[in-house]
Amino acid sequence: MATNKMFKNNFIQNKKTRDFACSTKQKKEKFSLHPTPRNRSGAEEIMSMYWLAILFIAAGGIVGMVLIFYGNPYDVRDIEASLLVDKIADCVSYGGKINDLIISDGKTGEFSFSNCHLNFSPEEDEYFYKVSIYQLEDLENYFFETRGGNLNLEASYSINEYSENLPVGTEKSFYSLDNAGNQYIIKILGIIRKTKQNV
Amino acid sequence: MRWIIKNKKAHVQLLSAFPKNRKGAELLQKYVIFIVLNLIFMSVLLFFISSKINGVSVLEESYSKNIALLIDASTPIMEMKLNMGDAFDLVEKNKISRDEIVKIENNSVIVKLSATSGYTYNFFNDVDVTAYADIYPSKNYLIKINGYK
Repeated sequence: MATNKMFKNNFIQNKKTRDFACSTKQKKEKFSLHPTPRNRSGAEEIMSMYWLAILFIAAGGIVGMVLIFYGNPYDVRDIEASLLVDKIADCVSYGGKINDLIISDGKTGEFSFSNCHLNFSPEEDEYFYKVSIYQLEDLENYFFETRGGNLNLEASYSINEYSENLPVGTEKSFYSLDNAGNQYIIKILGIIRKTKQNV
Repeated sequence: MRWIIKNKKAHVQLLSAFPKNRKGAELLQKYVIFIVLNLIFMSVLLFFISSKINGVSVLEESYSKNIALLIDASTPIMEMKLNMGDAFDLVEKNKISRDEIVKIENNSVIVKLSATSGYTYNFFNDVDVTAYADIYPSKNYLIKINGYK
């Protein structure tokens, strides 16, 4: 309290300081004696402005979050790639037996994937699939392999790396037999790009 | 009114009912304006959020992708019923026929919920599909897989 009084007295006595800080008489009095506002309604106005500013910031945040969430399209490529792999799997092997047109009596045949009822026509560049069939004795060298769709997608896809802008893919493998009872492992990779519609 | 002016007691009572304190009245007015502005602000915000959530573009996209994925997962002679209640409500507002909501052409599903918009998503299953709205009170859409092309 004592220091406060001393400060006030010094401030009033120091004419130079007072004249420098204030130009009018009214201002001098206000500034020298009451540095904090006495006027309650003024303070309330400042508070209401402060409240409005907070309101605008909060509303801006909510609007931003809603725009980010609903502005982005639903990414269904993962499901689509899985469906593509399932569809090809049904075509390659059904009921645990490999399609006779692909492998029969341990020998590869002539098989076209057009028989699998796949039609990529309006967006042929957006799909890719690879079917690799391995004999159970040799899992390093494939016995039969075929690719379809946009072959460039295989290079830009990586199983371990997920990025929205990269194509999304699914790989599934399962066990199957041919008509002679030979055992095989079938690996199917399906990749979907469609970044414009999903990212 | 005349009775009030003539009757002194009633006149005094009427005057005392209103605040004499001008400052208080001003303060009250300020608070009322502030609360009203806040309510307007909040209602605009809620309207914006609800319009985004139930917006035409969001529904079109979700229905289009849903139907395309259903077709991809299907096999011939399947019949699927998809509840499209939200779409029917929107279409009634936008004055579009129920049968025009979903169109399937060249392996593409086109969903249209207003005259100016529309969303297309492609499917890879090479099947012959027909889609049509169920009979009136029902809010389902029927998707029929007729066979392979």
